[in-house]
Amino acid sequence: MAALTEDEAAPMVRSHLARQALVFAALLALFAVAFVVSLCVGRFSVPASRALELIWLGVTDPWRELTTIEERIVLLVRAPRVVLAALAGAGLALSGAALQGVFRNPLVSPDILGISQGAAFGGALGIMLGIWGFPLIAMVFISGMAAVILVGLIARVNGRSETITVILSGLVVSSMFSAVVSLLQFVADPNTSLPAIVYWLMGSFATATWERTLIAAPGLIIGGVLLWMLRFRLNILSLDEAEAQSLGARTNRERWLVFGLIAVIVGSQVAVSGIIGWIGIVIPHASRLLVGHDHRALLPASVVLGAGFMVIIDTLARTATAAEIPLGVITALVGAPIFAMLLRNHYRERNGS
Amino acid sequence: MRRPSDQVGILSKIFPETKDIPSDVTAPNFVPNIEALTATNPDLVIQWGGRGNDIVAPITNAGLNAMLILYGTEQLTRDYMTMTSKAIGKPERIKELVEWRDRVQKDIEAKAKAIPQDKKPTTLYIARALTEIATTGTKGSYNAWYMELVGGRNASAELNGTVTINKEQIAQWDPEIIFLNAFEARLNVDWVYNDPILSLTKAARNKRVYKMPLGGYRWDPPNQESPLAWMWTANVTQPDVFKYDLRAEMKTAYKTLYNYDITDADIDGILWMKEQSGSANYAQFKAK
Repeated sequence: MAALTEDEAAPMVRSHLARQALVFAALLALFAVAFVVSLCVGRFSVPASRALELIWLGVTDPWRELTTIEERIVLLVRAPRVVLAALAGAGLALSGAALQGVFRNPLVSPDILGISQGAAFGGALGIMLGIWGFPLIAMVFISGMAAVILVGLIARVNGRSETITVILSGLVVSSMFSAVVSLLQFVADPNTSLPAIVYWLMGSFATATWERTLIAAPGLIIGGVLLWMLRFRLNILSLDEAEAQSLGARTNRERWLVFGLIAVIVGSQVAVSGIIGWIGIVIPHASRLLVGHDHRALLPASVVLGAGFMVIIDTLARTATAAEIPLGVITALVGAPIFAMLLRNHYRERNGS
Repeated sequence: MRRPSDQVGILSKIFPETKDIPSDVTAPNFVPNIEALTATNPDLVIQWGGRGNDIVAPITNAGLNAMLILYGTEQLTRDYMTMTSKAIGKPERIKELVEWRDRVQKDIEAKAKAIPQDKKPTTLYIARALTEIATTGTKGSYNAWYMELVGGRNASAELNGTVTINKEQIAQWDPEIIFLNAFEARLNVDWVYNDPILSLTKAARNKRVYKMPLGGYRWDPPNQESPLAWMWTANVTQPDVFKYDLRAEMKTAYKTLYNYDITDADIDGILWMKEQSGSANYAQFKAK
């Protein structure tokens, strides 16, 4: 790059920008289509034109009283579910992208900090104690945060924490919490709390309501916006440690800031929809292939693609059969092959160049 | 069996000693802790059959007597009740219980035969409601079996086994009657009436939502009181065809089964009279 003069570099930058713009336009279009189609399909048949009309009415006059079953299905069942799925998918993908940058490791996902398992523990305990609704969600969120704090305490040796120690501490805390979750399942009442715990651990948006969506939304949105504000920091943190420090980054503190934000995002998501795997690893990879490694483009691309992908997956889960298919099953079935394909393409290109 | 419903049901009133039966000797996967089990010094261990030898071998290896039961259909219920009566040394008790089941079943069948197909309401049994909604298909489901026995049609017949569904699917089926399980203690008919979607189903609009009673056991699965469960289901599903005097039947049955004189207050509790006396066709169960 240093050899290029400004005149030579300009057209390259321009074509790069044009390509980025095109990719974002395509991603946004994909998301918009997925979002609208998802609102129009479901087990209860509402004609698409009627569904679109209802969505329009819902947007223009949100406080209207809903009396017919069609209105309630579209605006009280599907809409909160699709919005929640989009928010959760966006949050998970964003968290995955940020974490992979911070750890400089493409195999890291939000599970690695023990957040999901920590949150799962809070949920399982809450269900067992017969706690429902908002207190349950709060409990899930708090235990997810507690897991990250625990990881931080374990990983912090002599005032600083190495990347590898953080990953290993995350693993330790994860295993510990998942063991406790198994123990809770072991003692749970097989008639009531056990099926509830098992189902919740598999991840689902089936119970989405506007109330639940609004409970999760602040954490997901605020966490996401703050991560976006850290995009330049993430670029620096994804450099090698010494290099990052020479650029003036206080790597340790900033890393933990990122982890804290991710805990907020993932905790909010798990609290309302259980553990959903694969999104946080597949989507950032796909986005990286589309827009490159720069977090300024990678983060928004992950958000849009994650939201669209999650909406599509959840639509499949609720429409394919009369029974709800557990989300984890579909995300793994779809995500794993895509991930394998991406990996192969990635290394083929790399070896080719 | 673990955590029997007698902790909340009437059985603990009839037999207070059942509260002391230890229920912590098996895990949810039915694997017994063999030493804990042996320590209770059982004369007979009743274990699930058809779930592999791994959960049986430890019992027989420890030198305990094991009886395996299969579950799920009316015939299997009669079989294991018969086996149990022999095993506990009271074979003379079983005849009248099986005959009662047979008599009630045949009586219901005979009356239901005349019901034309278009007069059979669609019925939905909700097996779980509070965290996720689960219901069952027809094949292999005891609930579907007795709902159809009494002249109903299983609304969720297309399913296979007990699976999770969503409210949109229930709206699509639009069942005429909804039965709620007796397993979830916090579940009652308000769950349907207060829901924006479910409250618009035919069942809710016609007030035909009922929580299954909880007697000596929950009435949803096969148990010693099943004929009462069928009569109750029959009376609310086809009120013009079936007019069983359930209270009288319960008094006789509880005397036969438990040698217990059931009070009207007991029956009110079992049938959730306080919670669902406002449901359609439920006034018939009121004490006279």
